[in-house]
Amino acid sequence: MRAGLIASLAGHAAILLWGIAAFPDAESYSVPAVDSLPVDLVPIEEFTRLRIGEKTAEIREVAAVAPSKTPSEKPTEPDEKPGESNVQQPTPPTPAPTPAPEPTPAPEEVAEPEPEPAPAPAPEPEPAQAAEPVPAAEPAPEPEPQQEAAPAPQPIVTSVAPRSKPAAPRRTPEPPDENFDSTQIAALLNKVEPAKQSGASSQQPASLGSNRGQQDVRMSQSELDALRGQVAQCWSPPVGAVGAEDLKVRVRFNLSRGGDVSGGPEVLNSSSNPAFGAAASSAVRAIMRCQPYSLPDAKYDAWQEVIINFDPREMLGG
Amino acid sequence: METLVQSTLTAPDSGISFFSLFWQAHIVVKIVMLGLLGASVWCWAIIVDKFMLIGRTRRQMSRFETVFWSGQSLEELYGTLHNRVNHSMAALFVAAMREWKRSHEGARPAIASLQQRIDRVMDVTIQREAERLESRLLILATVGAAAPFIGLFGTVWGIMTAFQAIAASESTNLAVVAPGIAEALFATALGLLAAIPAVIAYNKYSHDVGKAVSRMEGFADEFSAILSRQIDERG
Repeated sequence: MRAGLIASLAGHAAILLWGIAAFPDAESYSVPAVDSLPVDLVPIEEFTRLRIGEKTAEIREVAAVAPSKTPSEKPTEPDEKPGESNVQQPTPPTPAPTPAPEPTPAPEEVAEPEPEPAPAPAPEPEPAQAAEPVPAAEPAPEPEPQQEAAPAPQPIVTSVAPRSKPAAPRRTPEPPDENFDSTQIAALLNKVEPAKQSGASSQQPASLGSNRGQQDVRMSQSELDALRGQVAQCWSPPVGAVGAEDLKVRVRFNLSRGGDVSGGPEVLNSSSNPAFGAAASSAVRAIMRCQPYSLPDAKYDAWQEVIINFDPREMLGG
Repeated sequence: METLVQSTLTAPDSGISFFSLFWQAHIVVKIVMLGLLGASVWCWAIIVDKFMLIGRTRRQMSRFETVFWSGQSLEELYGTLHNRVNHSMAALFVAAMREWKRSHEGARPAIASLQQRIDRVMDVTIQREAERLESRLLILATVGAAAPFIGLFGTVWGIMTAFQAIAASESTNLAVVAPGIAEALFATALGLLAAIPAVIAYNKYSHDVGKAVSRMEGFADEFSAILSRQIDERG
């Protein structure tokens, strides 16, 4: 028995030592650093709001951004080295002001000697002084063709991104502040505000928008859908009529603040279908039956007047 | 991101090495671990001991059988063996021959029920030998059955204390939860470590002991037949 005990103890000690040597410590998993993704909860209203429009705006086709052609047609121009092209240069504007003050004193000098030589003929200084302003004025026109040529690449840029690009160069030429404080970098950086793309600041011409569109009060698409759903529940569409699918009824009605129908429903369209009268009356009945409507009170301006299209195809299908 | 940084800061500086797992455990879990380690040591001692004993017994039986069936005189064989400490078949032979000798000593040999006496003596010897071979095998069986439960008890206790610590630290981060559970699971690992060899060894050795005993019984029957023939021839 003693031999077995000794052998067992020796074996356990050996295994323990081996375990300590073989598993000194668990290796920590190498976890790749996960960049945090900022997630904003944005109400759908932000994307479905209607833009204020003008009724007088002319109907025009909004040009879609055409990204395909411009890069393929003009690939050579961006390939030019910055020094070779005489077109794009940010520096030419700076030499332009420096020669400008030189010619300005020149006419003064010219003007002063002019009265003097009038009584006494002294033709020598006149050409000498007159010759001086001429070369002085010459450098001025030189940058001009460059400045005229400078806007040339702009159409290339604007054709790619028409809206945002023109705004960007305007910020850059701001002269650096003399009392520059490094601690206020954050304040300086924060001055760049994100480009507003809402209806008011849009650079596109005004479009035909909703009649009731306002700056602050918007009905979100989900709220409009809710209203439509409420009405659709009470509506018994004219199923049996001939051509019932084409019986679209457009009804306008006013709502009071409590959600009741205050202004009588008014059918806006008409049709030659003999069943249209029944369809229109069923739509009006549905509107009257479903009141009061529960809509956000804060946006009363938006739903004060409602126009609903009763389309059997849509309302039955959905 | 903030919680990630925080977790790396507050993560306990504990390793998963054997000693750190042991030292960080609760006292009950420590006792369980030490007990399981002791059980494992004891089991392996028994395993080694039984391995040697059964091997030795088998060799002795084979050697004795070759000597016994070699045609050597039983009296001579008894003369060489009866002074030693004998085991297994040799012990059977010596016990039967001693009874034979005693029955023939004296003025009136008691031959009438000599056959039954010899059988009984050999049965007792087989019992004693089987007991010697089987001793401590029950410990293996007990450890094999109970060690997993003991380890599980340590694990449950360790997880209970770990959860209490987690609740106290008010963080459900995995870095806080993991070390306590790893400690707790170490107890189950030790229990299985002790139990698995014990169960395997118990099954093997109980089978080996059964084979050895049946081999001794076979020899006892044969030897009893030989002695019975001798008794009948003399009577």
